[in-house]
Formats: sequence, structure tokens, C-alpha cells
Amino acid sequence: MMTDRRAVRWGLLLSAIWLAGALLVSYRVGAAAENALAVQEARSVGESFDATQRPARTATRYVPVAGPIQQVVRVMTRLVGPAAERMREEERVLVWRTLRERYISVPVKDADAWDIVGAVVVAANPVSIPWIVWLAVFGSGLLAAALLRRGMRLAATDRETAPYYLVADGIAVLAIGTAVSALLLRGHLEDIALRLPEVTAQTRFDPMVLTLPNGRVVALLLAGLWAVCTVGLVGVAWLASPRQSVATRRTARTAWAFLAPSALHLLCFTLGPLAFTAWLSVHRWDLLEIDRPFIGLANYAELVRDPLFWKALRNTALYSLYVPVTMVLALGAAVLLNQPLRGIRVLRAMVFLPAIVSYVAIAMVWQWIYHADYGLLNHVLRSLGASGHDWLGDPATALPALMVVSVWVQLGYQMVVYLAGLQGVPATLLEAARLDGANAWTRFWQVTVPLLRPVSLYLLVTGIIWSFQVFALVYVMTEGGPTRATDVLVYQIYQNAWEFRRMGYASALSWVLFALLVGLTLLQWRLLNKRVEHAA
Amino acid sequence: MAGVRLQHLVKRFPDGSTAVSGLTLDVQAGEFLVLVGPSGCGKTTALRMIAGLEVPTMGRVLIGEQDVTDLPPGDRDVAMVFQNYALYPHFTVQENIEFPLRMRKVVATERARRAREVAESLGIAPYLARRPAELSGGQRQRVALARALVREPAVFLFDEPLSNLDAQVRAATRAELVRLHRRLGITIIHVTHDQVEAMSMAQRVAVMHEGRLEQCAPPMEVYGTPATLFTAQFVGSPLVNTISGRVDGSGGRQVFTGPLVVPVHATPGDATLAVRPEHLRLGPAEGAPEATIVLVEPLGAETIVHLALHDGTELRARLPGNSTMEAGAVVQVSVDPMQALVFDAAGRLAGRGRG
Repeated sequence: MMTDRRAVRWGLLLSAIWLAGALLVSYRVGAAAENALAVQEARSVGESFDATQRPARTATRYVPVAGPIQQVVRVMTRLVGPAAERMREEERVLVWRTLRERYISVPVKDADAWDIVGAVVVAANPVSIPWIVWLAVFGSGLLAAALLRRGMRLAATDRETAPYYLVADGIAVLAIGTAVSALLLRGHLEDIALRLPEVTAQTRFDPMVLTLPNGRVVALLLAGLWAVCTVGLVGVAWLASPRQSVATRRTARTAWAFLAPSALHLLCFTLGPLAFTAWLSVHRWDLLEIDRPFIGLANYAELVRDPLFWKALRNTALYSLYVPVTMVLALGAAVLLNQPLRGIRVLRAMVFLPAIVSYVAIAMVWQWIYHADYGLLNHVLRSLGASGHDWLGDPATALPALMVVSVWVQLGYQMVVYLAGLQGVPATLLEAARLDGANAWTRFWQVTVPLLRPVSLYLLVTGIIWSFQVFALVYVMTEGGPTRATDVLVYQIYQNAWEFRRMGYASALSWVLFALLVGLTLLQWRLLNKRVEHAA
Repeated sequence: MAGVRLQHLVKRFPDGSTAVSGLTLDVQAGEFLVLVGPSGCGKTTALRMIAGLEVPTMGRVLIGEQDVTDLPPGDRDVAMVFQNYALYPHFTVQENIEFPLRMRKVVATERARRAREVAESLGIAPYLARRPAELSGGQRQRVALARALVREPAVFLFDEPLSNLDAQVRAATRAELVRLHRRLGITIIHVTHDQVEAMSMAQRVAVMHEGRLEQCAPPMEVYGTPATLFTAQFVGSPLVNTISGRVDGSGGRQVFTGPLVVPVHATPGDATLAVRPEHLRLGPAEGAPEATIVLVEPLGAETIVHLALHDGTELRARLPGNSTMEAGAVVQVSVDPMQALVFDAAGRLAGRGRG
């Protein structure tokens, strides 16, 4: 079969590219180990070097090491004049390389550690590739070929969905490749760490010293390589596929052209920052220093132990309860405003108005309404004979006060969505219910409300997603107070990032929030897929 | 079972248009009446007024002996099957069928028993647990029917329930509805724009046009003796032949004069002669005018021949399937005078041909 042969060809090509990538990685990772060894060697020589003593012109020593690193060549030279000037303290390690070998030079200082008087140059040989790497490479290549072949087969049976099969399998291949690379890399790095405990611990994450990739850089490189390969492969396979008519291809190209700007935007302003915060969340960074040390999952561990985080999470969850309250009110308002009355449009617009006003403006107005001394609410209460209350100053009422504002803001939007939903309820269904003997109340609960289920679900989940991102109200009205009674997740992220300058911790918080929101979104998808069909 | 009486029903909409103007109609208990007419003739509005979904501007609706004009739909003891079936998409078939019973506070066991009974009689018992979206058009139609039947109402109202079905299912359902009516003896008012449906199902056909009742009679009478030219043209396919001319003479000697000359019994004046295609004769006849064959449509069992008289009048003749006619040929055309109908200038039946 034609498609089979082509699939095998693609598989082989993919394996070849994958192999090349893996070789490159192995080489780079092996080089990291060598260099670490070489630096260690050069340092030990440099430290024992007596500046007054005239050094030998050259000296060679073979260091027997197990595994890929076969030898370290030590070269000592005396540096004088401009050469010593150029070699600054920061550049204590210089690396240069030829095709086959790499040289690392470490400056040697005089007795009072002031002048650079010489350098130790160490050369290292390239490494060999362990057999397990070969195995993994071929295994994953075969797997990728099989997957692509399956995708081609499926695509041959269904012309319309062919691109989706190919893209789906492309993603699967990408995932396999990345996983294999990550596994290999981890094994290799562990191997190096075992051999060079001190050096690795100090220099592994210091690329300025070793000029060598550490784990994350290699992983990123690999993933990028795999992404490019896969996207290229899928694209070529798709465009070259004779099953696709010219018109289909042209349509697809046009679609991609239209999608490109938003895809680019998404990449730059959503996926990019997302990846950056993920990276930041495993580092410590106070915004002022260049140094961003890797601290693993320490930020997340701290977060779990931090009572303030749990307080913020609790407040956020409590705050989100305003959503169902708003929905009930919005449905009521929608039913009332669905009547064909004169001036109903003006009334609808008035209810919708808060949804288009700036949150900061709303927050400032409500801050005044809630003000303990000269706020509108207390003024009205006092004129009715009741006593006033410091709504935003009392920890017991601050959060409910914010929720009331949110209800007021969201009511109009939700009402408009419900109005649209109400107009989508088929009139004949309500008429059928009338003939079946259902009164207005029963018709509402037995027909209208169940048919609005998709709308309600949409409002509930998007509403909760929005509520989890509340910031402006808190920032303007309460600043998280009093006594952190209105401290919500986003406000805590803001505080940690810009007030406490704990970028890493703030990033970790952001990722927790992100995970929560992704979970909610997935939930919404699942629930909405079981949507009620109106066209019965 | 109960009959339905409509007395001078008028429906005017707020925008000023009149859908029904003065409809008076008696439907006997246990009768299958088809309300037929072109779209916009007011037939659906009339049905909705019987159902109580529209409030008449004037006139009364009686079901049995009870004036129900001011009763809400639920209290009229009528059931309706809608064109799009109007099944509740969030209920299962069983819940759909039980809904009217639930609204009438029938106990659950009784509800389930009656729903199953009706479902079995309509052959939809295997689908009781499904939702409407999982059923075919024909099955949904049966569910809608079951929901109407389960209540055992006095009157059934069908609002074009067959028009969303494909041709084959529609023909089968047509026959099935007639059988159902015979078996249960229920009163059915069926609205349709399809004259074939009207002719094949009805005990009586009520033809409506521009909000008025043109004629209400058994199908063959509507076909053979249409009360108005509109009815003659609306019922029957291919379209009835109409020839303009005059009726002259007096006593028993009137003659229709036009492109064709036919002896008639009719009031003198401007008139239209209507002849069904099957009553047109092609072939040599003394004094008959000549016509050119424009188009021949062989349909198998019969052949439709389109002709043009010299003055441009178009005619259609229905001939046996084995007829050999060629387009372009010239033939003489005559009519069977006994089957010719004469309509006056206002379109009312004014007489017939004589032998």
C-alpha cells in the first residue's frame, strides 16, 4: 500500500532526525562532564602553583576516568604583559574548542592573589555514546513510525479528518520524543553527578562558568527540536498527501494564515509568560539581583506550609459563592425583562451597564458607598434609625461587601446571557406544556430551567473562573485587609511579586491558580459536552 | 369523544392583519376532519384557537356542548401534535408521554402503566428509556402521538405532523393515522397544506382560503363538485383546466362560448369553464378546436399531455400510460360535457355541462 510505504519512509526520516538530536545531546552532556572534570583539575593545579617558582613550559598528565571521559591533558603556561591583563578574574575559566578537543584555561594568580601570572590549560576528549542511548533512540523511532503509519491509515479512510489524525499523532510522537529525551538526559546527568559530586553541585547550574548546557537548556532545546521536526513532518505529510484536494489545501492554508496572528499573539503573550513563570517558580529571584538560583520545588513546598496561602484560597473560594447568587438573580431579571413591554430595551441596557464600566471606577464608587462615616449606605441606614457599620473595616463584613459589588457588576452580563438563552427556548415546547396542563410555574421549572441548563453551566463555570481571578476590587477597596479577610489568590500573587519581591514564590502561586483554573475549564468542557439538544 | 363547533371565529393580529375572518365549522364527534389550504390561509391559526393557544378576536369555540372560548389550553381536554413534535428534549420518551398525566396528578404507577400501554400500541415501547434526540423523525412523531393519546382527550389537533417526515415514512404514517382513527374512533382535526394528505385521510375536507371556509365536504365531493373555482384549482393534480368565456342563451339552451363551445346548465354571464385533465378528450371530433402538444410527461401508469389552444390557453390532459403522443403534433380537443363545471365571475359554482 502506498500510504504504508510512505509512512515507513517518514518513520525512518523521523528516526534519523531523532538520532541526530540524541547524538548532539549526548555529546553536549558528555562535554559537560569532561569540562567539569577539567576545571577541577585545572583549579587544583593552579592552587598549588608557586608563583615565584619558574613553571615548566608544558606538563602533561593522564587522568584515568571510567566511562566516556578518557583523558585530561594539563598544560601550564606563564602569561605576561597584555595576555595577563586580558585575563580578568571573572574569566577564570575560558573554554575554547576544536572539532575534536576542548581546552579549558584557568588563570593562576601570584602569592597575594593580585596579579595573574599564568594559566592552567586542560584539554579533554570527546565522549562515546552508551549503548542504552542507541537502544532508546531506535525504540522511539520505531514507535514514532508506527504511530505515523497508523495516522496515515486512518487519514486514508477519512479525507475530512485527515489533518486532525496527523496532527494528533504528531503530538503523540512529540510527546514520546520529549519523554525519551528527558529520561536519557536525567540518566546522564545523574551519572555525571555521581562521578563529580562537588563540581556538579557548584557548577551544574552555572552556565556562565561552564558555557555548557545544563538540564533545562538541553530539555528545552530537545523539545524545540522535536516540535520543529514533528510540525514539519506533519505539515509535509499533510500538504504532500494526494488525498487532499487543491481546494481543501487552499482553504486550510487560508485558515492557517488567518489563525497565524492570534496564534503568534498567544505564543508571545500567553504561552511565553506561562513558560517563564514555570521556570521562575523553581527559582528564587528578588528582582534586583541577576542571580536566580535554582531551588527546585522549594517554592511549592513553602506554599503548602504557608497559612496565608490557605487563607487566600479559602477567601477566594468563599468569594466565588457570589456567582450562583448572581445567577439566580440574573435568571429572575431575565424572565422579568423578557416581557414585550414598552421601554424594556432601556431597562435592559441599564441593568447591563455595570458590566461595561471599569472595575476601578466601580470599586471607588462602592468604597464611598460603604464608607463608615460618610458613606451612602450608612447615611441611609442612619436616616432609617439603624446604626451604621464599618462595612469594609470589619473582617466579618468585608468579604461579603465585596461579593455584593461583584453581584451588582455581574448581574447585567449574566442577565443578557440568560435573555439570549430564554429566546432560544422553543415556543412550541412551552405551548405543548400549556396543552399538557402545566401552569406558568410548572412550565418555568419543568421546561424553561432544564432547557437553560447549558447556559447555566456556562455561566457558573466561567463565573467561577472569573471570580478566581478577582484583583481590582480587592486592590482598590481593601488591599486584602482587614486582617487579611479579603486576601485572595491573585492579590497574594501581586503582593509577593511586587511588594515582597519574591518572584519565584509568586510564580509558584500563579501556577497553583493556573492549575485550579485549568481543572475548572476541563470540568466545564466535560459538562457542556453533555449539552441538551434544543432541536428535538 | 366530542365534536367541535366554531362559530363566526375571527382572529385579527395586533399588526392589523386578519388571519381568520368569520369561520363557522361543525366537526362531528369521532370525525376525521382535515383543514387544508395554502400557507397563510388561516388554518393553523384556526387550530390554535381551538387549542386555546390564540384568543379569538370574535366568535366562540365549543367542544361538545361546552363553550371553551375563555378556558386556558390545559382545561380544554384537547391534545395537539405539533409540526416539530415539540418533545421535551430533557425528558426520556417515557417522561415525555407521562408529562400530561403528571400535570393531572395521576399516580406514578398508573402513569407508567398507561404510558407503556400507549407506547406498545404505537410500537415505541423499546425506546421508552431514550431521549428524543436519539430517535428518528418517524419515532419522534409516534412519541408526540403517544403523548397526545395517553391523555384520552376529547379532541386531537394535528398541526402538519407529517410535513417533517420523508416521503416514504409519510405515506406509511398517513395510512397508520387513518387506521388509528378507525380503531379508536377519536375526533381528529388535522391541519395540512398538502391536498394529497387531505384527500387520502379525511372523512371531510375543509378547504380554507384567505381566512374563509371555501367548502367543507367529503373528499370526493370536494373533488367532483367544488363549490368554488379556488377549491377546484387547489384540489387535484395536475391542475384543473380553466377556460374563460361566456354563458349565453336562456331556458334549457345555454351554451358556454370560448375557445371551446360546451352546452351547459348555468346562469348567463362571464364564466370560467373548469375541466379535470382526465375529462379532456384528444382526437378527431366534429367542430372541435385544434391544439398543439407542447410537452408530453409519461409517468408510467398515466401520461400527462400539455397542450396550447390557438388563443394561448394552456390545457392539461391525463391519458392512459400507453398513449403515444408526440410534442409538436396538432390534435383536436373536446370535453366530456357532463364533467364540465361552470364558475361565475365571482368564482362560485354556477352550473354544469349538459349531455
